[in-house]
Amino acid sequence: MSANISMQPYAPKKRKAKFIMYWIKEWSSWLLIVPTLLFFFFFSWQPLLSGIWLSFFKTKGFKADGFVGFQNYIDVIQNSVFQQTLINTFMYVIWSLVIGFVIPIVVAVIINEMRQWNSWFRFSVYFPSLIPGIAASLLWAFLFEPSENGVINMLIGKIGIHPLQWLQDPHLTIVTIVLTITWRSFGATTLLYLASLQGVNSELYEAASIDGADIWRKFRNITIPQIAPLIGLTLILQISGVFQIFNEPLVLTEGGPNNASMTLQLQSYFYAFRYFEAGHSVALGVVTFVILMVMTIYYFRIQKKWDRE
Amino acid sequence: MSKVKTAGIIGDLEYKTAKVKVFYWLYFAIMVCVSLICILPPVWVILSSLKDIKEFYAIPPTIIPRSLHFDKIWNTWNEFRFLRYYANTSYLTLGTVAFTVFFNGLAGYFFSKLKPTGSAFFFLLILWTVLLPNTIGIVPLFSNIVDFPLLHINFTNTYWPLWFLAAVNPVAILIFKNFFDTIPASLVEAAHIDGASKIGIFLRIVLPLSIPILITITILTINGVWNDFFWPYMILKDQSKWTVIVAIYNLRSTLPADIQFLGLTFAIVPPVLLFLFFQRYIVQGYAIAGGVKG
Repeated sequence: MSANISMQPYAPKKRKAKFIMYWIKEWSSWLLIVPTLLFFFFFSWQPLLSGIWLSFFKTKGFKADGFVGFQNYIDVIQNSVFQQTLINTFMYVIWSLVIGFVIPIVVAVIINEMRQWNSWFRFSVYFPSLIPGIAASLLWAFLFEPSENGVINMLIGKIGIHPLQWLQDPHLTIVTIVLTITWRSFGATTLLYLASLQGVNSELYEAASIDGADIWRKFRNITIPQIAPLIGLTLILQISGVFQIFNEPLVLTEGGPNNASMTLQLQSYFYAFRYFEAGHSVALGVVTFVILMVMTIYYFRIQKKWDRE
Repeated sequence: MSKVKTAGIIGDLEYKTAKVKVFYWLYFAIMVCVSLICILPPVWVILSSLKDIKEFYAIPPTIIPRSLHFDKIWNTWNEFRFLRYYANTSYLTLGTVAFTVFFNGLAGYFFSKLKPTGSAFFFLLILWTVLLPNTIGIVPLFSNIVDFPLLHINFTNTYWPLWFLAAVNPVAILIFKNFFDTIPASLVEAAHIDGASKIGIFLRIVLPLSIPILITITILTINGVWNDFFWPYMILKDQSKWTVIVAIYNLRSTLPADIQFLGLTFAIVPPVLLFLFFQRYIVQGYAIAGGVKG
C-alpha cells in the first residue's frame, strides 16, 4: 500500500477514494484473520513486550508496582546462585553436544547402509521420542535410583563398577540429565539426517567407485557435503533448545543437589512461582533471551561467511 | 519394498568383499545394541508394573519379571480413576485440534489465497514469533490467563487458555500456507464468481482439498497434547481437571512405586499405538516441519 501512496503524493482525494475502495474490497478478508491475530496478540506478542517492560519495575503479584530501573537485573546477577546457574546452563549445552551431537549423524549413516532390518532400526531409534517427555524423565528417575537397588547401578555392578549416586551426585547430575535427554531425542534427529541421506544421488557413489574411491573417501567427499547444511542447522537448534532446558531438571532434580543442576529457565520459573518475585523472573528471562539472541546472530554471521567461501 | 536403488555408501561390489562384510556385521551388531537401549527401558518399566508387590520390591530387582498380573492394570485404572484423566485429555485434545485447524487454517488461507495488501507485514510478524525464544513471556502470559486483560476473567482450571494457545501456532500456519499455495487459484476464483463468500470458499473448497495435510496436522496435534506438560500443569490445578501427564507428575510423591510404574504405562501406551496406526502421517509431518524449519 505504501508504494501506491508514495507514487501519488499530490492527489489526496484520489488517495482517499483508493483507501475506501481497498476496504470495501478487503474488509471481509481482514475479518477472517482478526481472531487469530488477537490470539497472537494476547498470548504471544503482548506477553513478550510486557515482560521486557515489567523487568524494569518492582512487582506486586504479577503487576508492576513502581519503576526501579535496572535494579531487578542487578539483584538477579548479583545473586550468589546466578553465576553457577549460568555455568550450569552452558555445561548442559556442552555435554549435550559432546554426548548427543554426533550420535544421530553416525546412527543415520549406519542405518542408511543396513540391508537387513532397516525399518526395524528406524522404528527403534524413534521409539523413545514417542514417549511423553515427563514420562521419560520419571522413568529414568526410577532407573537411575542411587542405591544398589537401582537398575542402572545393578547393571554396571555386573561389570565391576561401584554404585554411583547419579542424580544426587553434584558432579554427575548434569551428565545424567543430558543422557536421558539424548536418549529421548536423538531418534527424531536421526530421521531428519536419514531423510537428507536419502537425497544423495546414488550415481554419485557409483561414479566415485568407478574412479577408484574407497568407502572412507566416498563418505568424506559425498556424504558429509550432502548433510553439512543440516549439521549446521541441527547445531544451532540443539544449542538454543538445550539452553532453555526446563522440564527435565524440574522433574528429575528440581535443580538440586544444592543447585548443581539449576538452569536459567528453571531459576526464572522458581523466581516467579516459588518465591513470587515476578520482576526478578522476567529480568532473568530477558538475560537468557539476550544471550540466546547473541549466539543465534553470531551463528548466522558465521554461516553467511561460510556460504560466501 | 520395491527394488529401488538406495543411496548407500557401500556399493554392491564392495559389499561382497570379506573386509567390508566384517565391518558391515560389526556395525549391524552396534545397531542391534542401540535399538535395545532404545526399546528396553520402557519395556522393562511396563513389564515391571505387572509384577506382584513382593517381586516388585525385591532386592536386587529382577530384570526379567517372573510374575505378570494383568488384573493389576484394571484395579489401578479404577482405584486411581485414570478414566477421568483419559477423558480430560481427550476433551482437551478435541478442542485443541478444532482450534489448531480452524484458526491456523484460516490464517494459512488468508496468507496464501486472500493476501490483501498489507498482509505481508503480519506474516513477517508471525514468522518472527517462531524465531524468538520464549523465555520472557511466561510470567505475563500466566498473568493474562489468571486475569484476562479488559474482560477480567480467570481462566485457571478451564481448558480455554490451552485452546487459545493452540491457535498461536506459527509452524501450523506455515504448513497450511505452503499446502494451500499448491491449490490452483483458478478454483478459488471460479467459486468466487459463483458467488461463494470467502469463509465459504475456505470451508467448502480449500479444506476438503486439504485432507492429507489435515490428517497430518491432526495427528501431530494429538501427539502434542498428549506430551504437553507445562501449561496444563500451570493452569489445571484442580484434580478433576488433570490430564494424564499432569496426573502422573502430581501423583509421583504420593503413590507407591509400582502404581507409578502403571501410571507411566498408561502414559506411554497411547502415543505408541497412535504412532503404529498413523506412522506414515507422523513421519511425513516431521519431514514437513523439518522442511519448514530448514
